[in-house]
Amino acid sequence: MKTLKIFRGFDLNVPEEPDLSCVPLALPPSLGCCAGDIPHIRPKLLIKEGLRVKTGQPLFTDKRDTTIQYVSPGTGRVEKVVYGHRRRLMEVVIATESEDEYVEYDPVTLEGIVAMPRNALVTNLKNGGLWQGLRQFPALDVADPDHSPAMIIVAMDGNDLFSPHPAIILKGNIAAFEAGMAVLRRFSHQLAVVCRESRLKGIREIGSSVADQITHTAPDIYPAWQPGAVLYQIKQQAAENSSWCIRLDHLVMMGRFLLSGRYPVDKIVTITRPGDRRPHMLGRQGMPLSVLAAQMHGQTIATTGRFNGRILEKDAHIGFFENTVNIIEAGPGEEMFGFARLGLDKPTLSSTFLSSLFRRPAKMDCTLHGEVRACINCSYCERICPNGLMPSFIMKALHADDLEDALALGLMDCCKCGLCSFACPSKIELTQILSDAMDGYYKDK
Amino acid sequence: MKNLLKKFFDDTRPLFTADGKYKKYEPVWDATKTFFFVPSAKTRVMPFVRDHLDLKRYMSIVILALLPVTFFGIYNVGYQASIGTGETLSMAKCFLTGAWYVLPMIIVSYVVGFAWEFLFAVVRRHNISEGFLVTGLLLPLTLPPTIPLWQVALGISFGVVIGKEVFGGTGRNILNPALTGRAFLFFSYPVAMSGDVWVAGKHLVDGVTGATALSVTGAGEQSITAALSNAGYSLGQLFTGFVPGSVGETSALCCLIGAAILMVTRIANYRVIIGGIAGLVITSVLVYLIPGGQDTWSNAGPLYHLCAGGFLFGISFMATDPVSAPGTNPGRWIFGAAIGFLTVIIRVGNPAFMEGVMLAILFMNVFAPLLDHLVLKYKSSKRIPNV
Repeated sequence: MKTLKIFRGFDLNVPEEPDLSCVPLALPPSLGCCAGDIPHIRPKLLIKEGLRVKTGQPLFTDKRDTTIQYVSPGTGRVEKVVYGHRRRLMEVVIATESEDEYVEYDPVTLEGIVAMPRNALVTNLKNGGLWQGLRQFPALDVADPDHSPAMIIVAMDGNDLFSPHPAIILKGNIAAFEAGMAVLRRFSHQLAVVCRESRLKGIREIGSSVADQITHTAPDIYPAWQPGAVLYQIKQQAAENSSWCIRLDHLVMMGRFLLSGRYPVDKIVTITRPGDRRPHMLGRQGMPLSVLAAQMHGQTIATTGRFNGRILEKDAHIGFFENTVNIIEAGPGEEMFGFARLGLDKPTLSSTFLSSLFRRPAKMDCTLHGEVRACINCSYCERICPNGLMPSFIMKALHADDLEDALALGLMDCCKCGLCSFACPSKIELTQILSDAMDGYYKDK
Repeated sequence: MKNLLKKFFDDTRPLFTADGKYKKYEPVWDATKTFFFVPSAKTRVMPFVRDHLDLKRYMSIVILALLPVTFFGIYNVGYQASIGTGETLSMAKCFLTGAWYVLPMIIVSYVVGFAWEFLFAVVRRHNISEGFLVTGLLLPLTLPPTIPLWQVALGISFGVVIGKEVFGGTGRNILNPALTGRAFLFFSYPVAMSGDVWVAGKHLVDGVTGATALSVTGAGEQSITAALSNAGYSLGQLFTGFVPGSVGETSALCCLIGAAILMVTRIANYRVIIGGIAGLVITSVLVYLIPGGQDTWSNAGPLYHLCAGGFLFGISFMATDPVSAPGTNPGRWIFGAAIGFLTVIIRVGNPAFMEGVMLAILFMNVFAPLLDHLVLKYKSSKRIPNV
């Protein structure tokens, strides 16, 4: 087991860590299959409002590849189809029935996974709506089954500081995990299984067979455990730029689907709120936000990752790729002479407030704390970038329409962790600028 | 008070935003409002949490670091005036006398500079950047206290307009605006700026003048250090700063305090300051080892080079301006070291411009983008390509 040496990142003391207990939730009145959280997708609807669907039945597909299917997380009538900006499909909402009726597939044994032709395995996973759990760098699009990746990274932890603990996801799912790993071995010889240092003990307690397969541990500095940061640390050659990655919960879902022949509907979700320690919650895929966070004040926002998620509207459902909900409050409002305060209560990664002298619990809020200004070349973004990029220089290259320069500076190595925007004192949306440029370049290619 | 101000800004908002009567002057309204209240708009795109540091706090720390040199400068001006008139003044009296000379300079610098900033902001329709808060204080600190106020106004105008705004404003300037203004005054009005710098007492008694430490040379057999102490510039005095000179630059000690504040808060990049001091020390030792020139600054050694003139002020507050310095770390080391090197070379090799640090910094400002370019090229070549 190797230890990744990543020093740059976010390591403030945020006191919102969820409790390690796990509470089961009742079946909610509605479930959603979300398209808003899926990168690059051009959705095409396969059903109509009012139609009754079974659990595991395809609801929409991707126009770019219609063999990729996004399936229903529950059984019931299609209540409504929600469109967003420019009539982009956001989610399909199902009014749930109390009993699930599944679309059934033939179960496969562990030996079967090893012996099955590769194409059949891919088709099986695509039909089950789980192939898209595998993502391909650098754009993190759906993995291309015709490509043989140099490496597959298995991320045991999620995108937020407080995503579900891998031990809780693995509980009772060791066989499914093994089946999932067997699937990955069919596609690449090099598997990098990465977990956070602090999570290792819990994983070891749940099953030493899992812990033995972990190849790397990452320090507890966000985003050291995320696939993009891990890939940058361990890659040796350009061929590894198109590696694949998968998150633990999707890997377990793949395993469960193959072993049982049914779409696995369970999902472990964490909720964080300032000054609150909530337990993990065992619910369903596509749960509505209202079930998880009943009360929210006017100025409060809910996100699926404080650094790199999306904002959830009040009636939204949790997407396939999301398993954390952060409730972030708006803070005290406009403060008088804020620039001249000592700032014991102002969490910062700089050293310009007294809070930097103490590791006091940091209360984060969802305001910008300033106004947009021109870049002054201060290098705070470089100082925090886990992948050693210089976001300000890349931004300037992009503003000058010099894509070649931006690429040479490592644009495609960006892991979209959001820390450059977090740290920028000029409040420039660096992550968004870089991310849009990456997506644009990927789309044109 | 807070509620009253809030109400004032809420009431005036419709006049300055959207279709308001004074929509044109929104930047002025915005600058005033953000001075009192930290804007706290909600985040719309990821990341949804943001650091508390903003540009106003950033620049406030620089102002904080400038306070020791400013207050000492004010006191020292009064103290030097008292020497000039032959009176012994109490500390408070020294301070008041000094303030009488220095405060008008600071006020003129801020008022004229802000007028330009507002004008450009209104015409260009952008918000006013906080960078000027620092420029407006830096310029008067680099000027001798006897300078006519119209020259201060001219200097800050040149610095803001030609040094910054013609390039597109804060963040896009090649040269440090305050230093550009000072260079303009230095070359346009050399009599007021150099040589006979100390004439504050002139208004009180006739003809009290002195030369700055850098213009002292030993006569014949006399070594430079001996000549300096004869002229009243012992190393101790140069370090504490009780010598004539420009307002803010005389005290090496206060400059070091400011540099420490900037480095501890990591507002200034320590690489520039440390690199600069290292460059100056190494070059001055090398020059010292060259035989000959007993009576010139080539023989003064590193300590005198450090403490005399404006080197520490320049390297701490001017060279560390992030906009005009390189944006890469290796670039910053080279940038700092080259400033130290050039400062000594100009002082030793070109007696026409005794104050080398100003020219050294401006010269290296011009080369900063080139340094960045070379560093970026090298770094790119070391990456595993990903296209």
